[in-house]
Amino acid sequence: MYDAIAEEKRNKPAVVLVNESFAMDAESAASNQGMPGIRIIPQSVPCECSVPEEIEVGISAAMDDIVAGLTRPLTKEEKSPKPKEVEKTPKIIFRGGLEEVNQFYYKRGWTDGLPIIPPTEESVTEMLTGTELPADHIVGKIIPRSGKATVEKIAINAVMAGALPTAMPLLIAGVEAILDPYSAFGTYGVSTGSWAPFWIVNGPLRHDLNINSGSGALSPGDIANATIGRALGLIIKNIGGIRKGIEDMGVLGNPGKYTLVIAENEEDSPWDPLQVERGFKKGDSTITLFFPQTFNQMLAYGTDARGILSTVVYNANPCQTIGGFNCFIIIPSHAKALAKKGWGKQEIKAFISENTTAPFYRLRQYLYGGRGIIGKDSSLSLALNPMDPIRLIQNPDNVMIIVAGGPGAFMASLHSAGGLPGNSYVTKKIKLPPDWDNLVEKYRDIKPTYIRY
Amino acid sequence: MGRSHQMKTNSNGHYDALSPWADVDPVSLRGISPRIANLVGKKIGLFCNFKPGAKPILSVVEAKLKEKYPSIQTSNFVFLHNICIDDSEEKANFDQWIKEVDTVINAVGD
Repeated sequence: MYDAIAEEKRNKPAVVLVNESFAMDAESAASNQGMPGIRIIPQSVPCECSVPEEIEVGISAAMDDIVAGLTRPLTKEEKSPKPKEVEKTPKIIFRGGLEEVNQFYYKRGWTDGLPIIPPTEESVTEMLTGTELPADHIVGKIIPRSGKATVEKIAINAVMAGALPTAMPLLIAGVEAILDPYSAFGTYGVSTGSWAPFWIVNGPLRHDLNINSGSGALSPGDIANATIGRALGLIIKNIGGIRKGIEDMGVLGNPGKYTLVIAENEEDSPWDPLQVERGFKKGDSTITLFFPQTFNQMLAYGTDARGILSTVVYNANPCQTIGGFNCFIIIPSHAKALAKKGWGKQEIKAFISENTTAPFYRLRQYLYGGRGIIGKDSSLSLALNPMDPIRLIQNPDNVMIIVAGGPGAFMASLHSAGGLPGNSYVTKKIKLPPDWDNLVEKYRDIKPTYIRY
Repeated sequence: MGRSHQMKTNSNGHYDALSPWADVDPVSLRGISPRIANLVGKKIGLFCNFKPGAKPILSVVEAKLKEKYPSIQTSNFVFLHNICIDDSEEKANFDQWIKEVDTVINAVGD
């Protein structure tokens, strides 16, 4: 859609062929980009279709519409679209009991389906103690709706998610990460691939917020891990305006969209933590964002370097695609075993890139003889034999390694198939308000204390 | 403490709940370009995005157009990146290509 808008801006009449189920998504994108009249031609070819007969049938049926889209004179509205009235919502949107508030918000499409905490003036004021920024400060505008991410709207969504005020600095940095073009949020936030934001927290703030980096770090049960990801999900929905099945066209969706937050266990890692790799100081607190599709857990083939690294490279890429981005969560005991044998993060990344391969016949490029794969990749289908190993991670920079997890012998990978070439991710420094220590103290004891039974 | 404070209701036991939905600035709208009168003798641009399904669709479109309008020419632009063309390193190539075509058909692949 954005390409068609680029063409129209260069005064060339354009049409866009989309599968009929994506017409509403395309209209929403055109409208948000200020060109609601773009001529969208819905067609019935199945998505990513590889069956020539079905393409033939679908395009034959659409040909008259394509020609008309290029030649039919413009209507008055297409020539100069009428500006939409800007929606202005009252500050207090609803008054009612707990269940009534929840039902109202749910029906408006403002929740993730789970109950929310009503965001009252008092609760939002308390949330705002987590930042020194004024409530009306605009951190940025989140696409596709270009909703203004004011500090107050971030706080409202944070209250709804059940976050503590100490999460505010991290949430603001999270919004900055979303806004950074290198996060590719504009693609991953809405794509059919159902990418989920994965948030990695480094630095002293991990302890201030009790963000879990140990046993079950990615399981429910920790208020920080649970509510930070949830709050950012609500921010994406309610500020960015990404709605399921309209803008978010994720085919199957992703449970990680509820929350996917982890801290790196820096204390038990033999290596530099992620924020240092990213150019920050060890004492800096940061949040890193990338968008994986899959979460894969592997039992190590062995606990020595060979066993650990074999597990990684044989299981690194469940989608058998070339490219993408890979994050490996190595447990502390494995990290120490590797370091003991001289393996640093860079050496491991290079090893993974060199040795993560698949036989050519397993790739879609082989199956379809290069059809639909254009340019450089087409040489794959011309020059190689079915059993030839193809390197799936051609750039070691497309590998991230963090240390986290509890005792045991499992490791995990989060894999982002496809997406942008040289798949990108972003790290943002978290800025703390001056009275941070007092705020942390106020909320420090909010953590589960399990009784023995 | 913070949590009990956060759950405070008004005197009727109700919550006065604030809206999480963001305000937006008005979007300045732009019309689309005038259409061409007909396709006869025209050069049609076929813009193929990164999705594998796009190219086969455009191949069929191209064949059908040439069948119906033998005088047309076509020109393909293949853009394999999942970002806006204006933000890419191929912008200059695109600018050159777009000057040479009369109209464009885009395929997304889904």
